[in-house]
Amino acid sequence: MANLGVADTPRTTSGGQGRIRRALSAREAGVFVALILMCAFLAVSTDAFLSSRNLLNVGRQISLLGIMAVGMTFVLIAAEVDLSVGSTYALSGLMTGILIVQQWALLPAILVGLALGGLVGFLNGVLSTYGKLPSFITTLGMMSIVRGVALLITNGEPVTVNASSGANGDTLSQFFWIGQGSLFGQIPMQLVFFIVIAFLGWIVLSFTTFGFRVYAVGGGLKAARVSGIKVFSVKIWAFIIMGVLSGLAGILSLAFLPSGQAGRTGVGLELDVIAATIVGGASLSGGEGTMLGTILGVLIIGVLRNGLILLGISPFWQTTIIGLVIIVAVAIDKWTTSRRAG
Amino acid sequence: MAQPPIIELHGITKRFPGVLALDNVSFSVYPGEVHAVLGENGAGKSTLMNILAGDLQPDSGTIVYQGREQVIPSPLVAQRLGISVVYQELALCNNLTVAENISLSLVANRSALSFVRRGQFADHAREVMKRLGLSNVDPRQSVGKLSVAQQQMVEIAKALSMKATVLILDEPNSALTIEETDHLFTVLRQLQADGVAIIYVSHRLEEVVQIADRITVMRDGRHIDTKPNDDSVTVESLITKMVGRSITHFRRHARPSGGESQPALEVEQLRSGSIRGVSFRIHRGEIVGIAGLPDSGKDELVECIFGLRPSEGAVRVNGVVAPIKSPVAAINAGLALIPADRRGAGAMLVMSVEENTVVSSLKAVSRLGMLRRPAMRDLTRTYVKKLDTRIASQRQKMWTLSGGNQQKVILGRGLATEPSILLLHEPTRGIDVGAKAEIYDILQRLAKDGVTILIVSSELPELISQCDRILVMHQGRLTGHFDHDEANEEAILACAMGQATHRAVAQT
Repeated sequence: MANLGVADTPRTTSGGQGRIRRALSAREAGVFVALILMCAFLAVSTDAFLSSRNLLNVGRQISLLGIMAVGMTFVLIAAEVDLSVGSTYALSGLMTGILIVQQWALLPAILVGLALGGLVGFLNGVLSTYGKLPSFITTLGMMSIVRGVALLITNGEPVTVNASSGANGDTLSQFFWIGQGSLFGQIPMQLVFFIVIAFLGWIVLSFTTFGFRVYAVGGGLKAARVSGIKVFSVKIWAFIIMGVLSGLAGILSLAFLPSGQAGRTGVGLELDVIAATIVGGASLSGGEGTMLGTILGVLIIGVLRNGLILLGISPFWQTTIIGLVIIVAVAIDKWTTSRRAG
Repeated sequence: MAQPPIIELHGITKRFPGVLALDNVSFSVYPGEVHAVLGENGAGKSTLMNILAGDLQPDSGTIVYQGREQVIPSPLVAQRLGISVVYQELALCNNLTVAENISLSLVANRSALSFVRRGQFADHAREVMKRLGLSNVDPRQSVGKLSVAQQQMVEIAKALSMKATVLILDEPNSALTIEETDHLFTVLRQLQADGVAIIYVSHRLEEVVQIADRITVMRDGRHIDTKPNDDSVTVESLITKMVGRSITHFRRHARPSGGESQPALEVEQLRSGSIRGVSFRIHRGEIVGIAGLPDSGKDELVECIFGLRPSEGAVRVNGVVAPIKSPVAAINAGLALIPADRRGAGAMLVMSVEENTVVSSLKAVSRLGMLRRPAMRDLTRTYVKKLDTRIASQRQKMWTLSGGNQQKVILGRGLATEPSILLLHEPTRGIDVGAKAEIYDILQRLAKDGVTILIVSSELPELISQCDRILVMHQGRLTGHFDHDEANEEAILACAMGQATHRAVAQT
């Protein structure tokens, strides 16, 4: 307020157009350049990085994080946050696993898992809108509740999906193909899922009226309401998308590594998901972010982890460095682009 | 002025990337004067005030304060020198009490570990408040519960408690009623008598003419003129100086009255909270204003009509009962609202001009839920052109626009839904004179084209110059009903304050 206020900003000169254009894409361009530099460095300093096997491996490793980051992009743009995604990931995966062990067919088992994720999202959404609670609180509570439900239904025991646990053989092979198989003998199925989800997410966010409404709700809640947008419904749907995608990631995870435990699976995952999305340019205050940015953010985190391993750097450093990247990415953005005063 | 000036500005220049915000500005301010600084948005007045407050440093030029050349490197130094600023957007801690807010400055300069003596706060606060005639405010009340006017007084009290010798008021009255403004002026007169120099930045020219001793006009970063406020100064002459050309169309175009046709908007026995039964009708192509003090219910009324607030009673649009329970229903019934809080409820600041324009017309610019970019562009271009909105690009973010241009974009958003009834809530609050005149022009044109317009405003000159009829509210009821020809500020004010009624029963 004490700064030069927006209302009194001197008139934009005709030269302002280029600057505005540049500011728009600055974040994505910055993340993209950082990614290219990292890749170039790793390509030169390690032999393994550029091998197709390693790259596909990176692709598989980021897939589950990426699928959830797609959902988180909607939630953050709508000016909300979801901390319950790690727990939902565990619950949906374990539920589908239990049903498969109980000889359910694959499709219904997966649908129940996804529906459970959607239900968690719906509850998050309703409590954060009609319930008038901040989503930080709602989803913090839901993080614990959902984790608790997962512990209750599994009795805290590990869930292992294999033939000896009683699952139907055909169902099992289909399930494992989803998690462990590959397309054209090359591309891991998890990566295929991520690519499809990211593409759909991009279409929905950038080209549909729903995507537009998500931006509007996050860009100015009151203004969106006055403009005739059903703001609560938009937010609830953003949470539902998030919940279903968390469920999907959880199911894919169990299909890859067919054993999970309610007390361990996906613990702390929510922070990785939020971190990747933020690095990609989404803002916690809403209204800003793109699907392309999120994908770049996920890639940065993935390549960084992979590179540190290839370079033989201690895993303890990985954790530290990823933390630094989050802060540096947002800091560069804040310090270089001039934003609204106040 | 026999005394030497308290502040002399010599050749102050300030450059921002791409813009010369202040270009060699020089003038002086004397103790005990109310010195108005006028100019359109972008004229450089806020930049200048920020320099005096220590928030910005000039690129060149000097400030002479109390006869000595002075650098003001920070707001804290400005405060110590005795320069206090009351900003338009109030900077109070809503969770603290009145006394605590007023005494904050006593705490700010102490070490973090020193003890706070609340009793001392209350005494100190009471003393300052007494000087301001703020006897009706309890110093122990938390600031968040006060009215905007009272908060403003607390701000001024805070400034005084810092022993201000120069008090800068930046748009002090954009949220005040006439009554409250009168009180503010009384207080300013007192301070003036005590020798405080008051720099008064405002858009409300009528009031500037009323309160100022001298008037400085700025335009495009340059100092245009500093003159005593004598009989030769009129609102029109000030506007001409501010804009650099004369604006004549502040007056409404003569139009034949509504006639016998079916009313476009009928409100019958509307009740909600403080609104206790309001009925009126507006005919097609009419401009009707609603005046009233802040607690009159006029602000709630427009929110009820647009479905932002639950209410009882009937609203009929073109003869059809419209059960308006939400803004979505209102828009579907053919209503559009330009909200009062432009930055909060109007503009989506981080989004583009294009996105802000089409947001209410998504159905028109999409097919099967998919946005059609060309349609979005065309719709935006149409309304940018129609309203002569000054933008560099449709992709430009809303926060980069001036208030007047933001308002035009929001108006364009409303018009893009092709409403039969346009509701405007404080349509020109905080907008410079040039843009204001343009918006009035647009409203008159729309009315001519058959759009029915309801303006709810605190600015009586605005209502009197623009409306065919003015309704006045007091304590949730209509107390006055004026045709254009019989409307004048005194009579409207008397109804607004509940001291008179005027044809209130005959509600056509």
